[in-house]
Amino acid sequence: MGHNVLLVDDSSTMRKIVGRSLRQAGLEFDNIYEAADGLLALEVLEKESVDLVLSDINMPNMDGITFLREKANRAHMKDIPVFMISTETGDDIINEAKALGAVGAIKKPFTADMVSEILGPFLK
Amino acid sequence: MNISEKIIETTIEIFTTMVMMEVSADGPLLARSGILCDTITGMIGLAGTHKGVLAIHIPHHVALAITSSFLGMDVDELNDDVRDAVGELANMLGGNIKTILSENGRDIELSLPSTVAGHEYDFSATTDVDLFILPFKTVAGNFMVELQLEK
Repeated sequence: MGHNVLLVDDSSTMRKIVGRSLRQAGLEFDNIYEAADGLLALEVLEKESVDLVLSDINMPNMDGITFLREKANRAHMKDIPVFMISTETGDDIINEAKALGAVGAIKKPFTADMVSEILGPFLK
Repeated sequence: MNISEKIIETTIEIFTTMVMMEVSADGPLLARSGILCDTITGMIGLAGTHKGVLAIHIPHHVALAITSSFLGMDVDELNDDVRDAVGELANMLGGNIKTILSENGRDIELSLPSTVAGHEYDFSATTDVDLFILPFKTVAGNFMVELQLEK
């Protein structure tokens, strides 16, 4: 059985690349939802059953850190795991993301193998 | 590692792993980018302990080839996909350069990426800056990566 994943990135290019990497990594998904910022991601999580969120940090309207904070305040979605996918993977911002519930981070640029290695254990 | 070497290393890594296109440095630092013709520029601002701009200048025909390879589909006009792809390249370059300018990425904030494209335009700083302008070549043509840092 596949999973439902939500990709959150203001770049449509990056959403396509991440989606392609997930498929190349051999991970099975029933649905890949997309959102262009944190605000739209919260709307998807209100409507859909999502097993995993992959989110950028630097986004307009609502950035990835604020998204984590808002999600943590909503009981029905706070336990959905979130991985940050970003160029911003300095210790400070990743520690802040983890304190708000993120379970890990993938640094851009990345390969499909890296995606498989990092996300595989969460999708078994 | 100096800044120029880091820009070269980061650019090659991004193109190899994500754009799926071979790229190599094409000569020494340039003194200025000059008048840009039929080009699209993706840029991202740096603020904090280091202020400046990271930009990638790509001739239109090269940008189409890069976007086609990046997305894995044919792109034959300068559309939103090309602008988004070039902006994302600037974003990835800026994020990686940030990490060498500031330990753990602290003390520097990045803007959101933006793009400008045109038949003929100049890309120059209005303040006194340190300039790092690096030429690169691909099978589709050449492009430049430029970092301006306020002195």
